[in-house]
Amino acid sequence: MIIKGGIVYDPANGIYGEEMDLFVDQGRMAEQAKGEEIDARGLLVMPGGVDAHSHIAGKKVNTGRIMRPDDSRQGTQSRTSVCRPSTGYTVPNCYAMGYRYARMGYTTAFEAATPILEARHTHEELAEIPIIDKGALTLFGSNWQVMECVRDKDLSKLAAYVAWGLRAARGYGVKIVNPGGGEAWGFGGNVKGINDTVPGFDVTPAEIIRGLAKANEMLHLPHSIHLHFNNLGKPGNYTTAIETLDLLRDIKPSRMRQIVHVTHMQFSAYGGTSWRDFESKAPVIADYFNNHNHATMDMGQLLFGSATTMTADAPLEYGNARLTHNKWSNHDIELEESSGVVPMTYFRKMLVNAVQWAIGLELALLVKDPWKILMTTDSPNGSPFVNYPEVITLLMSKPKRDAEMATLHEQVPKRTTLAGIERELDWTDIAIMTRAAPARILGLQDKGHLGTGADGDVTVYNLRPEEVDASQDHALVKKALANALYTIKGGVVVSKEGQILATPPGRTFWVDAAVPPADADRLMLDLEDKFAKYYSIQLSNYAVQDAYLPHAKAIRAGLPVEPLPEVA
Amino acid sequence: MSEATLIKDAVCSFCGCLCDDIDVEVEGGKVQRVKHACRLGSSKIMGHGRIESPMIRKEGVLVACSFQEAYDRAAQILLMANKPLMYGWASTSCEAGKKGILLAEEVGAVFDTTATVCHGPSVIGIEEKGLPGATLGQVKNRADTIVFWGCNPAEAHPRHSLRYSSNACGRFTPQGRKGRKIIVVDVRETRTAKNADKFISITPGCDYEVISALRMLVAGKGDNVPEEVGGVSKADLADLAATLKAAKFGAVFFGLGITHSRGRYKNIDNALSLVAELNQHSKFVIMPMRGHYNVGGIGQVLAWSSGYPMSVDFARGMPYFNPGETAACDLLARGDTDAAMVIAADAVSNFPRTTAQALAKIPVIQIDPYENPTTLLSEVVIPCAIAGVEAEGTAYRMDGLALRLRKMVDSGFPSDEEILIGILESVQKQRLLKANEEA
Amino acid sequence: MRTITITPREEFRISVEAENISSDKFASLNIEQIKSLAVWQGNRQKALSDLFAIEGDDAPATAEEITIRLLGDFSSVKRIAEGMTAGLVEVQGSVGMHAGNNMKGGLLSITGDADDWLAREMRGGKVVVMGDAGNYVGSGYRGEKCGMRGGEIEIKGSAGAYVGEHLCGGSISIGGNAGDFPGAANQGGTIFIGGSTYLPGAEMSKGAITVKGEAKVLPSFQKMEIVQIDGVDFQKYAGDLVDNGKGELLVGVGSS
Repeated sequence: MIIKGGIVYDPANGIYGEEMDLFVDQGRMAEQAKGEEIDARGLLVMPGGVDAHSHIAGKKVNTGRIMRPDDSRQGTQSRTSVCRPSTGYTVPNCYAMGYRYARMGYTTAFEAATPILEARHTHEELAEIPIIDKGALTLFGSNWQVMECVRDKDLSKLAAYVAWGLRAARGYGVKIVNPGGGEAWGFGGNVKGINDTVPGFDVTPAEIIRGLAKANEMLHLPHSIHLHFNNLGKPGNYTTAIETLDLLRDIKPSRMRQIVHVTHMQFSAYGGTSWRDFESKAPVIADYFNNHNHATMDMGQLLFGSATTMTADAPLEYGNARLTHNKWSNHDIELEESSGVVPMTYFRKMLVNAVQWAIGLELALLVKDPWKILMTTDSPNGSPFVNYPEVITLLMSKPKRDAEMATLHEQVPKRTTLAGIERELDWTDIAIMTRAAPARILGLQDKGHLGTGADGDVTVYNLRPEEVDASQDHALVKKALANALYTIKGGVVVSKEGQILATPPGRTFWVDAAVPPADADRLMLDLEDKFAKYYSIQLSNYAVQDAYLPHAKAIRAGLPVEPLPEVA
Repeated sequence: MSEATLIKDAVCSFCGCLCDDIDVEVEGGKVQRVKHACRLGSSKIMGHGRIESPMIRKEGVLVACSFQEAYDRAAQILLMANKPLMYGWASTSCEAGKKGILLAEEVGAVFDTTATVCHGPSVIGIEEKGLPGATLGQVKNRADTIVFWGCNPAEAHPRHSLRYSSNACGRFTPQGRKGRKIIVVDVRETRTAKNADKFISITPGCDYEVISALRMLVAGKGDNVPEEVGGVSKADLADLAATLKAAKFGAVFFGLGITHSRGRYKNIDNALSLVAELNQHSKFVIMPMRGHYNVGGIGQVLAWSSGYPMSVDFARGMPYFNPGETAACDLLARGDTDAAMVIAADAVSNFPRTTAQALAKIPVIQIDPYENPTTLLSEVVIPCAIAGVEAEGTAYRMDGLALRLRKMVDSGFPSDEEILIGILESVQKQRLLKANEEA
Repeated sequence: MRTITITPREEFRISVEAENISSDKFASLNIEQIKSLAVWQGNRQKALSDLFAIEGDDAPATAEEITIRLLGDFSSVKRIAEGMTAGLVEVQGSVGMHAGNNMKGGLLSITGDADDWLAREMRGGKVVVMGDAGNYVGSGYRGEKCGMRGGEIEIKGSAGAYVGEHLCGGSISIGGNAGDFPGAANQGGTIFIGGSTYLPGAEMSKGAITVKGEAKVLPSFQKMEIVQIDGVDFQKYAGDLVDNGKGELLVGVGSS
């Protein structure tokens, strides 16, 4: 395939809006190729989008569907000769997940949180999502085995467990949510700060985070730890954020990447002592990121309207449900985690929601280096992913932001700095925040760029970057981003002008990290004991079987195998 | 296969407990011994009378035929129908369910599961309030207070108490049964009730009021509660409320006694609120006692495929969900379906009599390993391998945990999944033929 | 005034979904165009005229000026007058499920009975049923917080269970008895029941329910004073206190 004459943004390869032809051969970017010609003359061309944090599959998402027929009836589309039916807005069915990402020009999305015990379910859904490549991050933050290794300061056993857990879950990376809090929630409690002791385990969240970060680097995992802070969603929590980030400054990365990826930063950049004096601390957080290089983040932008919150931070969800008097699902997972799901509507005229909206944008505009911040909505927590074009246009257009601000609660300019921020992101920034940076942060070498050998995932938008003024013509830009002119996945046109043309199955990435056999043996004694006494299933039935990953792509890591080549 | 082999840690495909510690001895291609399973599970795995051959009804009599003939006739029936119903799915694998949903989309059918006659009301209750739950191991390791409401695991889920609930020992529950308070709420003193610390007998149909009274008492608004509610004295209710509030970790398990008594989904709706409110005082979870081993799994598959966990109408090409209108019983009671496929369930035995009679008026396709009353009125009968014994696949436990079913022995029969693929291919072939004829 | 008459050509064994039978849908169309509007019978899409005989004034008119007269048995025809904003739909007989779904204005009048989900999620306008109605009169969709938000429903006969579930506004009047749980989760609408019922107002937070006959009242309602309306004594209750509700429930005293 030849994609002719596009204005190409491929920041990972130092290409910032150059007119050039692209070639895809046998599913990969190539120097030369023959075959189908795509006319992209003068149009915006980028690598396929990569979403590093989205809730797309597994028990939580399905719980959202089951408790929300009111949501499932939104966005219903009939079956066609190519497509299965689509349903849902914040919690779409599996098919709609794939189609909607593809329409927007995205070709990769990572599920944000899977307990090992329930990974089989996650993979059942991932396998059913068409088109896009995917992976799932694995939850470790309230896991008994993890906490015991941390308590015993047995790092090599911890690393062995992380490797074993990733293999059992067919997981991609280490996700930590409100560390220790999931265990405390087992008896209805929570941890209040990073130095609070987890009941019954004699460890603190700080120790868990540091332990897992070190284990992560011992294993040379492609991705860093992926962290949802303690105290998330609470006024005044920015101090917890800074404290936690400071914990990790001295850890050496095993690869050219961050030590920690902080997810949905918006929910952790809050000042004030209560919802009454609630205010943005985005400038403090942005400052920290501008002055340190060990951390990256994603926005977790909130948009007005319907959302479904879902997280392993179960106490937070219980609080949300009580506060909004809404439906509440909770799901505790023996020995490993807890979680909750609560539907939510965000209102323009509600001060807290309006400030939250502004905080996400402040973060993205105040962090100077776009490689440090990804565009996300923590879909569907802040808003479903179909609204990414709205977020992007807000970042690219000051007039759009001003127009929005005028419709919000009048206190927003006093509680945030957004009104005074002039910066408008350009296509390079956007290409980094939605393609190059998520791929680099995840450690996906063949994603997010268009260099030779990269995956043949290319998006052509019906926009002329050299003519259109994204600041003024934001409505036009938003429309173009919502339905790519062409979305090419692995060299196949999967979507054209919003119409799905082909639904190849996507691959599922997982990380297979080797550890010294002696450590694995020591670990197994612990695990055999846990399964004999505490788990409700047998050890032999625990790990996800190969049958659940029909299109698996294993990435090797760990010791004593050679470390992975470093990402440029 | 003549040498004896031992299959360890097999998953029992009988009830929603999905016990996964079963040892099975196989010799000569047959299951010889089953260890650790309860009587119900053991009997299922050992096997019993099977339908021997596919059959088609000719001049009123079921006559043996080839599988392909059966697939073609089944496909023809589905294609002819204006509103076919595809019902069952609780006793087969998720993989079969996936193919079934695809077939339902293809022929524009209504897809419904046995939940419609068991925990359907629970699903509707969950749609109102959400489900505060946990995996069963969480109950085993933490629960000091357990309430069984309108369910009788001693008879229906024999190993539940030992593996997961009353008698299970775990990290924070080393004393097992001794360290727990077990409370049973029911309209009669069941075997489960006899083993409980406290049995609360309520007047049939009064669950909703009793729960409302408990919510008042838990919230400290007991002054308003009358001296007796639903056959229970206020003193007993106050005592129960105090016990629930004092729990370190409480769990409510509920069954058909509450989902199918007067109030139905409203009972569950109210119970879910009670549990949510109890979390202001103590840790509490609640979950339905699912009967058929994979009734939960088909709900999961249907939800991620269509957005809804049961009673999905694909007639217009897009999923539409409205139990009360789109459930199997609703359609049959109104005569609003003109063909049915019954798979992995015995509709005739499960449905109310008048509803079952409606099945006799329309062509029925049965897919099942066993002959049952549904066979008697079927037009096409297709025997299948027994999922979880003769075919592998996925099932979801009553707490939503997915487990992989093993294949223990070979079978001469195709799996449900293979049969559905056969019918689907026949549908596509016949449709193409018709299109060509018309062209 | 433009009048259009619709008569079923046959007795429907499989129910028909006919959301296109509404004054809004007919407004800009001539008779031929109306005849070719889509209806569904099970998985078969058909033209309106395949299933119904249609006659009447040919010239398009605004919805307000339209009267649709349905003659014959429509008890298996669903979604009649769905989303209607103005005009008159007059049924001389009974209607199937979901008549007047999401109605915003106009009048839907039914001389026979109405099946379940009459005027689900109604916003405005008026529905009158001379006979009985099924379950879920003026209720919401599964999982939604709000059912009917406005308008008026009048049932001369009796109604099934769950009348006005999740009612957020408007008024429903039932001449006879109502089934279980009328006004559950009422958030501000009014329900009048001429006969008796069972457990009214469960989890109501606002609004009012009046039951002239007998009603079993939940233990979470607080007994208030006796009030007199038109010379009849009613026991007043406040609730539902499980949710600190501020609803008002009136139940007739010794009226029987």
